[in-house]
Amino acid sequence: MIDGKETFWEALKRHGVSRREFLKFSAVITGLMGLPPAMIPKIVEAMETKPRVPVIWVHGLECTCCSESFIRSATPLASDVLLTMISLEYDDTLSAAAGEALEKHKDDIMKKYHGEYILAVEGNPPLGDDGMYCVVGGKPFLEGLKKAAEGAKAVIAWGSCASWGCVQAAKPNPTTAVPIHKVITDKPIIKIPGCPPIPEVMTGTIMYTVLFGKLPPLDSQGRPKMFYGNRIHDTCYRRPFFNEGMYVEQFDDEGAKKGWCLYKMGCRGPTTYNSCGNLRWYNGLSYPIQSGHGCIGCSADGFWDNGNFYSREQNIPFIGTESNADKVGAVAVGAAAAGAIAHGVISKIRSGKKED
Amino acid sequence: MNNEIKKYYLFSPSLRIAHWIWALAISVLFITGIYIGNPFFIGNVGYSATFGDLHALTMNYIRLLHFSFGYILLAALILRFSIIPFRKADRLIIPKFWTKAYWENAFDTLKNYLFITKSHRPYIRNPLARTAYFGLFLLLIFEVITGFAMYGRSNPGGFWDKLFGWIIPALGGEYQVHRWHHIVAWLIILFVVIHVYMVIREDILEKDGEVSSMVNGNKFFEHTPADITDV
Repeated sequence: MIDGKETFWEALKRHGVSRREFLKFSAVITGLMGLPPAMIPKIVEAMETKPRVPVIWVHGLECTCCSESFIRSATPLASDVLLTMISLEYDDTLSAAAGEALEKHKDDIMKKYHGEYILAVEGNPPLGDDGMYCVVGGKPFLEGLKKAAEGAKAVIAWGSCASWGCVQAAKPNPTTAVPIHKVITDKPIIKIPGCPPIPEVMTGTIMYTVLFGKLPPLDSQGRPKMFYGNRIHDTCYRRPFFNEGMYVEQFDDEGAKKGWCLYKMGCRGPTTYNSCGNLRWYNGLSYPIQSGHGCIGCSADGFWDNGNFYSREQNIPFIGTESNADKVGAVAVGAAAAGAIAHGVISKIRSGKKED
Repeated sequence: MNNEIKKYYLFSPSLRIAHWIWALAISVLFITGIYIGNPFFIGNVGYSATFGDLHALTMNYIRLLHFSFGYILLAALILRFSIIPFRKADRLIIPKFWTKAYWENAFDTLKNYLFITKSHRPYIRNPLARTAYFGLFLLLIFEVITGFAMYGRSNPGGFWDKLFGWIIPALGGEYQVHRWHHIVAWLIILFVVIHVYMVIREDILEKDGEVSSMVNGNKFFEHTPADITDV
């Protein structure tokens, strides 16, 4: 592995990058991180002077969709990030080495760069049965996570698993899987929710963190503001159709063909925060709503437990599966009105008797 | 009619104004809210989506109404609560759970409503009604907090988000906030139905001018009401 004290510029030079390409690259990532052009000289300076930051990337209960997403980052290329921007010291999915040698290298890095490395966590730890539902390198992931977090400078929570819990924490949550902030309480955590997160959001966040040596501005939930600052609904290109009351009623109707709003098809855009509406996916090619399917809210807290993805009608938990607020409300108000009339008639009759 | 009927001036102008603003605001908010939750008619046909607002009743306009009346409801709530310290009769919305009279009078009223007794003692406002009004205010405050929290998330970090944004994680995400906002709206309408019935019943059976009291502020009693010390 490469010495972590090398600067970004030195690493790029080692890979045969020219000065001109380096400056272009600096301009691109400045824009990607949502920073103004005036920041380009600062980014260049940081790239020339800051040592590359060692990163330890661990995997808990997860499906590796975050890694799959990450390696598809187009701007900047994931390979650029992995080989020059950060010094990825440990990733049991991506690294060529395996077994005891790799685990030993992780321990060495944790000692050598204690308090300096960034811990990236993909997936989450199950607490049930002492964490035995997820074992990495012969030890419960819970144990390894706590140990790795101890010497970390900052922690990045990749994806909805690490940020909220995601599918393994959905009811009834048999393994007691919890988001990492329940386990790591004494370190700053950047949440990058999404199932998976957008590739450029992942690379953008990690670059900001290593270039500035600090966390990006976070919202009240711990998500980077530049990527999770707006609802998908508020950045959606179909928003004018929502505003005008033009909705898809069925997936094969005229509205669907014309690309109207998917609100009535259960789209979760109005309650979900992400950059799908502006950055989009696959280098800006498309995103779920653009492909004609509503957002399922994968970067929202507890999205698996929010009911049917294809309906906005929300079941009332304590009544039944076919009930929603409107149906129950209409019945209850009707019953109350009928009861009031009956009560009134009886009251009047009894009151009349009183006067006799 | 006998001459012993006495007039009691109870409801201040501020209280009455607040009441009728709520009646209007709750009606508009409920109807527009039901549409926002489930847009049951198509808003705009035949015009470009950008200019539909000029020709049709659109979601955009209905949302504007909803938000505007949300502000109006909040303003009336602030008006109502700001008069509480200054006038005793404006504190009738507080159910005095801690007093013996509260429970005695509550059972007295309840027995009459369940047809066990033929009448109840006269009250300025009986304990059951006080409790219901207190509950209504809690529901309205909940709607204001959840409503402005959702409204504020259009501008994260803005005024409303800072003020009420905490409710979103507390209820388990914004989708859950939508759901509870919706359920509580129905509870308020349930209150409205019962409220309208109960005041008309009171007016007809007790002949105390209950309905007109919210216009002119006066109620009429032949016998001294049991809770006269509260005004």
